[in-house]
Amino acid sequence: MKSKGFMTDFFERNGLALGLYLVLAVGFWLVILIILPQLSMLDFSFRHHLPPPEMGGPKDVYTLEHYKFLVLGAQGSDASYNVVDLGVFARTLFAALFVTLLDLALCYPLAYYLGQSNGGGFVRVLVLLLIIPYWVNEILRAFAFRIIFGDSGVINEMLMSMGVIDAPLDFIRENIALYSGLGYAYILLMIFPIYNVIESLDRNQIEAARDMGSPWWRIHWRIVIPYAKPGISSGCTMVFMLSAGALAAPQILGGPSSLWFTQIIYQWFNQGGNWPRGAAYAIVLLSVCIIIVLSMMRLFKVKMGDLGK
Amino acid sequence: MKSNSPLIKIFLGLYLVIFFGYLLGPLVIMSITGFNSNGFPRVAPWECLTFEWFEVLSNDKRIINGITNSFIVGIGTVILSVVMGLAGSLVLIQIWPKLRSTYYTIVIAPILIPGVVLGISTLVFWDRINVMLGFSSDSFLHNGIFQTILGQSTFIASYCMLVFVARLQRFDTGLTEAALDLGATNAQAFRKILLPFLRPAIASAAVLAFLASFENYNTTTFTFGKFPTLTIELAQKVRYGINPSISVLAFIIVALTIIGALSFEIYQRRKQLALANGAPVGSVSGNFQLPKFMRGNPASIVLLLVALGGFSSIWFANVYSPDACKVEVREQKRLIQQEQIEAIKQQQLLRQQEEAQQGPDIFSPDNSLVPKTDSEPATQGGGSFGNVFAPQNLDEAGPESDAKEDAGGSEASTTNSGNSTFGNVFDPSNLDQ
Repeated sequence: MKSKGFMTDFFERNGLALGLYLVLAVGFWLVILIILPQLSMLDFSFRHHLPPPEMGGPKDVYTLEHYKFLVLGAQGSDASYNVVDLGVFARTLFAALFVTLLDLALCYPLAYYLGQSNGGGFVRVLVLLLIIPYWVNEILRAFAFRIIFGDSGVINEMLMSMGVIDAPLDFIRENIALYSGLGYAYILLMIFPIYNVIESLDRNQIEAARDMGSPWWRIHWRIVIPYAKPGISSGCTMVFMLSAGALAAPQILGGPSSLWFTQIIYQWFNQGGNWPRGAAYAIVLLSVCIIIVLSMMRLFKVKMGDLGK
Repeated sequence: MKSNSPLIKIFLGLYLVIFFGYLLGPLVIMSITGFNSNGFPRVAPWECLTFEWFEVLSNDKRIINGITNSFIVGIGTVILSVVMGLAGSLVLIQIWPKLRSTYYTIVIAPILIPGVVLGISTLVFWDRINVMLGFSSDSFLHNGIFQTILGQSTFIASYCMLVFVARLQRFDTGLTEAALDLGATNAQAFRKILLPFLRPAIASAAVLAFLASFENYNTTTFTFGKFPTLTIELAQKVRYGINPSISVLAFIIVALTIIGALSFEIYQRRKQLALANGAPVGSVSGNFQLPKFMRGNPASIVLLLVALGGFSSIWFANVYSPDACKVEVREQKRLIQQEQIEAIKQQQLLRQQEEAQQGPDIFSPDNSLVPKTDSEPATQGGGSFGNVFAPQNLDEAGPESDAKEDAGGSEASTTNSGNSTFGNVFDPSNLDQ
């Protein structure tokens, strides 16, 4: 079969009409929607910021200007590095990492509980309850946290009426609202991959370990966590990438002094009007996130194919 | 689970309560704020049960417009991403094994690429295509709906593909081969065998795609152009001034979600029950179609009717007028304000008296605002005036602020009279004390 070549084999198996549909649909998706836009953005990020009439003209040459700007800052500024943007970038990555770990710590016990219980009615109700917040709009979820954490929000009002504090605590400025909002937004993407994997874990393994006198933490450390590794890494990857790339929650819940890196990108596009620079920043965000995820996967010996399962 | 000791059970229960409190609490609180007549979405000073925000919401043209755009975009995205996702999954199971992991990485990547990046790349790419083709800047390539559908489909198709792949793993390829052996054409085998098998997956992929499209913000915010979707409108509202009509919208969405989830659950239960009772598989699984809760299931139809009844009763509840309650609340507020004003006046008076008694205690930090050598009463007035706006008074900011200003005004007069007493402080005779 293989000697005939992949394409002829493909059309022979699917027939002309179906084969054409598959090739066209997948080709459109892969080439026009995924690959070309990314390449075009990459190309665009190396261009000067020019008014439309000059595009394609003699001035339209490749440049590293925007990447330099991210690292070194504006020419003639005092600092030798672009402290503001790099600082925001580093903080975004660390915060995303923190949110990921927070979600993992919150979700692992529940995923284990759900996965190892025998699927009674109670568990089904819990799973239903889990899904409900996910169907509510991302903006509305952030908004709910604003109601809770605002100056006149529920927590402040409650603490003040109990007399614990006199003046409202500024949760928004302290970024507490932001972290809980982000953790909340992606909690399901953590719980379901882990749950799916743990569900298939043979309970006899745990029984055996317990019979041999293993304490509960060693059962988790030696049996459950190694088994659930694909689920854990897939959940962590998704939560990390999505919270590093989040825009809505930082815009709504972020304090006045703390920007998220995506907000800077957004500003270059919508307020600064400097598209190539925004594209360059987006490329940096994308590649650094990919590098982090890939190195983490290498560190924990997880394959790409395990993701998304 | 681990063991049946009561301590562990208590911990587990506590953990479950905290977890689901974190998960559902915000939604509950937000929904409650939609029924408070307070102009800002908040629970704490509960004023009146009101339905006025439903009316505000239904009269909000931008929200209505946003919903329309969201539906158009959603339908376009569903069609495009189901078509592409299906093709993607069929190619995945057929592709040359050496290419498979590369191919899988590429088609799964859009899920992991930040939505912001997808939005930007779509915007930049179609902008450049437009320039390359020499179209004007208002051609269809620049149309917000066109770009939004493409941008969203890029990653939503990956979701759909995962749904199809999961279903295809259980497909018996022998069925297709048998059909082909019996003389069916490829197209026939696809339409008669594979497509019916995939129908539940198509339905769930479509629902998933629509929901994902409806709530997408990161990608859409770069591509929407002149057609803001509901999410964009909501984001703008939440960032620049809000009233509880957004909470009402959230309440409606939450309610619809719960109803949808419940009916789905009922449907599943019934299906299981029917299967357990020996009903033919085809009769139960065959009618699994897009509006799941509408078909062949009296219980869920009843549920839907109940829900509709509930909603219309809420709508009719607009007739119920919370005006009386509001007037009462306003009256109460006025009384409280008056009390506050009185209290402030009293304080002021007391302080003046104290100052008059204590005499030249002008070096204490309390009086530091008063210039020591100053003889002009106006600045002194400013000093005591400032106390009215002291931080502790500002905590109760909100609707009362107007009244505060009044209080400030009335304060001014008392302050003036205070100045005369204050003036006495500098009376040389006082220095003897």
